[in-house]
Amino acid sequence: MQRIRIIFSGEGGQGIQTISKVFVTAASKQGFEVSYLPSFGVEQRGTPSVAFITIDNKEIRHPKFDKADIVVILGKRAIKTVENYLDPNTELYFDSSTISKGDLPIFVSKIHGVPATKYAKEKFALRSFNLIVLGVIAKAIGIKEELIWEEIFNFLSKKFKKKEDENLAHEAFLFGLEIVPETEDFTRAIFKAKHQAILVKGHGKHGTILPDKCKGCGICIHKCPVGALSLGEDLGVFSTPIPQVDLEKCIGCQNCKNFCPDGAITMEMDASA
Amino acid sequence: METMPKVWRSKSKPHLFCPGCGHGVALKQLGFAIDELKISDKTTIGIDIGCSLLAWNFFDFDTVQTHHGRVTPTMVGYKMMKPKRTVLAYMGDGGAYAIGLQSLIHAAFRNDPITAIVVHNDLYAMTGGQMAPTTMPGEVTSTTPTGKPENFGPGFFGPELIANVANPKAYIARASISKPLLVKQYLKNALLNQQKNNSFSMVEIMSICPTNWKMNAKQCFEKLSQMDKYYPGGEIKKGNENAEN
Amino acid sequence: MAIEFLSGNEAAVKGILAAGADVMYGYPITPSTEILEGWIRNTLVDKSKKYLQTEDETAAGFATIGAILAGAKAFTATAGPGHVLMQDPLSMAENLRLPFVCIAMQRGGPSTGTVNYSQQEVNLAAFGGNGDGMRIVYSASNVQDMYDLTIKAFNTAWKYRFPTFVIGDGHIAKSKMKANISNPIQPILAKPLLKEDTNNPTFFRNCYSSELVFGDVLMKNIEDWNEARPKIEEYEEYKIKGAKEIIVAHGSVAQASMDACDILQNKRKRIGVFRPITVHPFPQHLKKLAKRTKKIYVIESSLNQLSRIVKYELSGCKTQIVEIAKPAVSFTGAEIARKILVS
Repeated sequence: MQRIRIIFSGEGGQGIQTISKVFVTAASKQGFEVSYLPSFGVEQRGTPSVAFITIDNKEIRHPKFDKADIVVILGKRAIKTVENYLDPNTELYFDSSTISKGDLPIFVSKIHGVPATKYAKEKFALRSFNLIVLGVIAKAIGIKEELIWEEIFNFLSKKFKKKEDENLAHEAFLFGLEIVPETEDFTRAIFKAKHQAILVKGHGKHGTILPDKCKGCGICIHKCPVGALSLGEDLGVFSTPIPQVDLEKCIGCQNCKNFCPDGAITMEMDASA
Repeated sequence: METMPKVWRSKSKPHLFCPGCGHGVALKQLGFAIDELKISDKTTIGIDIGCSLLAWNFFDFDTVQTHHGRVTPTMVGYKMMKPKRTVLAYMGDGGAYAIGLQSLIHAAFRNDPITAIVVHNDLYAMTGGQMAPTTMPGEVTSTTPTGKPENFGPGFFGPELIANVANPKAYIARASISKPLLVKQYLKNALLNQQKNNSFSMVEIMSICPTNWKMNAKQCFEKLSQMDKYYPGGEIKKGNENAEN
Repeated sequence: MAIEFLSGNEAAVKGILAAGADVMYGYPITPSTEILEGWIRNTLVDKSKKYLQTEDETAAGFATIGAILAGAKAFTATAGPGHVLMQDPLSMAENLRLPFVCIAMQRGGPSTGTVNYSQQEVNLAAFGGNGDGMRIVYSASNVQDMYDLTIKAFNTAWKYRFPTFVIGDGHIAKSKMKANISNPIQPILAKPLLKEDTNNPTFFRNCYSSELVFGDVLMKNIEDWNEARPKIEEYEEYKIKGAKEIIVAHGSVAQASMDACDILQNKRKRIGVFRPITVHPFPQHLKKLAKRTKKIYVIESSLNQLSRIVKYELSGCKTQIVEIAKPAVSFTGAEIARKILVS
């Protein structure tokens, strides 16, 4: 086998380092020389997460490289972070249900779309979208299915609350193995973050929700005393669902405004006429 | 219709803290307090190491990120030369009660007129969830994998400790983000004690860390209510002027 | 052979255990925190091992000294700003000739700087205190070194009684690679430094009433240092035979330099790599090589911290020295090859 340099990238919190560790541990058990270097910063979420991986039959001296043979991009904001590692020969895999082809650098020609978020949401669970991608890449490199599944289980078994979770994860991974990535007609990036402020008004109340500030923590929903807030369909800055408001129930108490750590929401009573 | 305090720097939002981070709530109430006192043009903030450093461009006023545990003496030095400014030292419980404790104690002891804001989230968050002095007995962290043992001390009562040596004119309080409006009120009292009483003030703010606690919003606030019981809130020293009222 | 897939921090913990360490004092700091956490996990398995998470790095360092005085194999691990604070206890240890073992994972300084990577702590490790730098500094170049050099560091410290460092960097600390963790080096035994003998009590001090008395103490230390130096110095050579040019690099930059060598060889350049394993004391062997070398490239992720040492060691040699420095930024082999071709 020739040396293969791979980058997995996405949003912090998308499990980029988890699938990377699964992948390198399995590759190592298959007998390859492997190096793995995670990007790490101050440990907050919400910054792009990147993993540098090298696989070879021969000794690997150094975990960094200039250009990658395969780059996987699962979050739009990661594109900028990994751009320098792309060249015209790089095989680029991206989540075509959250990222438009037009967002990708134009000089890359070998593009593979995997609408992982769409499949995960429709067929499995949203969080297993990364396992679908892992399946696609494992197949492309030739890492043995059973070794990968063994490591998925090692890394994730604590998160499986019931047998059903484990089965769903396994199915999502197996599904990924079978996917033929899109190379021409790409899925539309339907799961995209909203940017414009959402203004709501009615029932004597009005309010603002800022999707480009909302990180989907759910504190406003938890702190709403009357259950007027719930997770909606729209996505926020980290591609997580943002709250929607039931204006009939809302009492304009401003708990959401006072608790929101990101300044992304306010609901208040209309000024009495 | 504004979702954020006026003094928040909108260009730096969304800020760098994790989803659900209690720092956002504390900094929001600090922003509202500064808005209401109308002092944004005379405020300077220093921030410590640990997650608090992620506020390095949070507000529309001068901000200095210092070294670990050293934000207090840095801002004490600044205030001496700029006595008319309202000077804040923003730090976590590690910066305040472990590495920076002696400086914080001496600032209170000398009655240096600065406002120390300590965000208390029960562990070291930036390095991934190690024990802090504030970690409560028996709690599991990455450096107390079987629970914090007795020989590592109980929970650390910072405001109570510092109140013992603080000048009578100092203002010292503990609030919790479970009551955000009280956080704002105590911060306003603290800032006024610095300005009008020319004295030391300190507010500890009980906070949450969804990332390292590995909890959702509901679970975080449940844990916070346990912490609020262990570390009761209130004004421990009210400062001379406030006490007379 | 026992091959495992490990991070540099995990390999360091394996090395520490193989060296027979007893106790760790530390304070969490990226990128060395996993050494503290990994050691703690082992204390759960082996109850004879102890640890304390102190209130800061200065306290961690002095607590380490306390345990060493009690005859324990004590150590600490730190990085960046923690390494700066560690210099006070290290100055004490240097002058008292205490076998203080410190693992330092370099990151960009100062303060938080970056938590990722640099080679900016060479000066700090070698010369950081208010002394003359009687410290031994091993520079690990990869995960394997973290294991091997950590074991060695304990032995060197207890044999020669100088503070001993293993410096790595954030990339080595956090990256995972295969490493052989069988232990060919026998750990040497620690001995109590305070004898607890009322007839013959021990007096340790770092206070002297006159410069002359203190000067005698220092001269004795320097004599010991000079005598031990040739036994301590270590280096690795790569394609040095017949090379007309030599890259001098330490740590992970040395590994990238070896990749660069392979690339340059394909371009018919006769170039080799000299990697000081001990960056301090620096291997005097380079001086011999320099005499028959046209050009030496010193490549490092700091502003000439290594090259200052190299220039001092090679003083009198006429070999041209080219400095290639990228403070706090890493190199790849391809990049080093490009830089050499244009310089």
